[in-house]
Amino acid sequence: MTRTEEETVTTGTARPPASAWRALVAAEARMVARDTAGLVVPLGLPLLILVMVGTTAPPLPPGALDGRTPLEVFGLPVAAATVLGLVGFTNVPSFLAHYRRSGVLRRLGVTPAGPAPVLAAQVAVGFAQVAVGIGLAFGVAVVAFGAGAPAAVWTALGGLLLGAAAFFAVGLLVAALAPTTNAAIAAGLVLFLGTGALGGMFGDPTALPGPLAEVGQVLPFGATVHVLSAAWLGATPELAPVLGLVVTTVLASVAAARWFRWE
Amino acid sequence: MNAIEVRGLRKRYGDRTAVDDVGFTVAAGSVTGVLGPNGAGKTTTVECVAGLRRPDGGTVRVLGLDPWRDRRAVRAVLGVQLQEAALHDMLTVTELVRLHRALHRDGHDPARLIDVVGLTEQAGTRFDRLSGGQQQRLSVALALVGRPRVVILDELTTGLDPRSRAEMLDLVQGMADDGVTVLLVSHRMDEIERLCDRVLLLDRGRVVADADPAGLVAAAGLGERVRFRASGDLDRDALRALPGVGSVVRTGAEFVLSGDGDLLGPIGAELVRQGVVATGLRIERPTLDDAFLELTGRRLDPGAGAAA
Repeated sequence: MTRTEEETVTTGTARPPASAWRALVAAEARMVARDTAGLVVPLGLPLLILVMVGTTAPPLPPGALDGRTPLEVFGLPVAAATVLGLVGFTNVPSFLAHYRRSGVLRRLGVTPAGPAPVLAAQVAVGFAQVAVGIGLAFGVAVVAFGAGAPAAVWTALGGLLLGAAAFFAVGLLVAALAPTTNAAIAAGLVLFLGTGALGGMFGDPTALPGPLAEVGQVLPFGATVHVLSAAWLGATPELAPVLGLVVTTVLASVAAARWFRWE
Repeated sequence: MNAIEVRGLRKRYGDRTAVDDVGFTVAAGSVTGVLGPNGAGKTTTVECVAGLRRPDGGTVRVLGLDPWRDRRAVRAVLGVQLQEAALHDMLTVTELVRLHRALHRDGHDPARLIDVVGLTEQAGTRFDRLSGGQQQRLSVALALVGRPRVVILDELTTGLDPRSRAEMLDLVQGMADDGVTVLLVSHRMDEIERLCDRVLLLDRGRVVADADPAGLVAAAGLGERVRFRASGDLDRDALRALPGVGSVVRTGAEFVLSGDGDLLGPIGAELVRQGVVATGLRIERPTLDDAFLELTGRRLDPGAGAAA
């Protein structure tokens, strides 16, 4: 082989085309859309939570929540964290573990794009599913229960982004460590229910024993609920939950990158 | 020019040495078979060529590039059909071929490629609803979709029915005719004999023979055998004295003469000279399977007989 031919090979065709990203995101979107349970549960369960909170919350004395309803201050934040937990902790890792287990990552490893972009594509589709789920929950809250926008819109959006980052980073760590699809789903559900129980999914977390409540408050579920509650009330979120989300995102991302196995 | 160059390749998994000092070259545009029993190191060798595994020692070059260090560049020119590599199982044939086409800069038209591998009727079928043979054909289509200059095919006819197998071999022949370099891993001699210009025989992580299929048989030192039945006895010394004849064995009415070179002509002439009426005359040429048995002391296909 002559040197000129080597040059053509290395420089001419080395990078995957931009169309690779579009095609991978479209492929992941189809996979998610065709997985009925994974598609419906993260959209349905938060609605159920909203309806329960919206119809069973006792009337509060005026001014108890700065004029906001329990649905806005507890129902919507918990619904949002539920969508994030189901998609971030369970759906995304189950797809990625399945891709590793069945050899999809290995197959992509011999294409010019390599296996890594499929992770990004799956996370992008997960973000879109979260946006749809939270949008749906908010729409139902507005239409059926007369909910209003958060008092601090930017706090709400920032909290959602930070919460999403934390949930998806932990999800990638689950995907990195889970040997099988079922292991990923099991680990994701345990994390979802565990952090949910400590973070207010089943009722007021302040009723939990002191240390448990404090831990729950900085884990992704409780921290996201806290920041979103504060946003609806127009209050400044406490530092600990915000730091909790940042630290979780950083630690889980680094660990996922460190331990992710491609086969 | 060599499309693939492998020198002193070594790979261990824990205590087990999978590949030990393997070296070979593959000329551009040729079809090379990698033959050997299970555990011979075939798959590890091609995985190192494909850049899926990092060799513990030695050098590997594909079109002059290191498949591990220059992975991106190699992936653009190398098509790989892997054993047991799955695809997005809920996507259809068309969706998968289009996806993999989009992962390459250059490539074939998806619809035409689907037609070439005979999946047009299944174009709208999800991967998890294809038969094993259809999945196999799809994986070959994906190996080709990026218009590769070198293709690795690992056990490509496993699980195919005879008709699909024949079609698949035609497809590989067509690729080779188009100038694509093919590295074909197999444990089936008939495939290798039919398609390959050259065959590498691997056993226990080493190359035990590197020749064209006929040369491999010759390297094993296996000659021809001529069998026939004759009613009376005949002059066996005269037969044994013929050029090339090594031995004459009589079992009942059957005679077996073995030796090197072209035996049939001289033996026929001698039988006529002796006035012997021979029936059921046939010539047996050794196969790659016989050669493998001779070179390694083991059968290639475990189903064909116990290890010697």
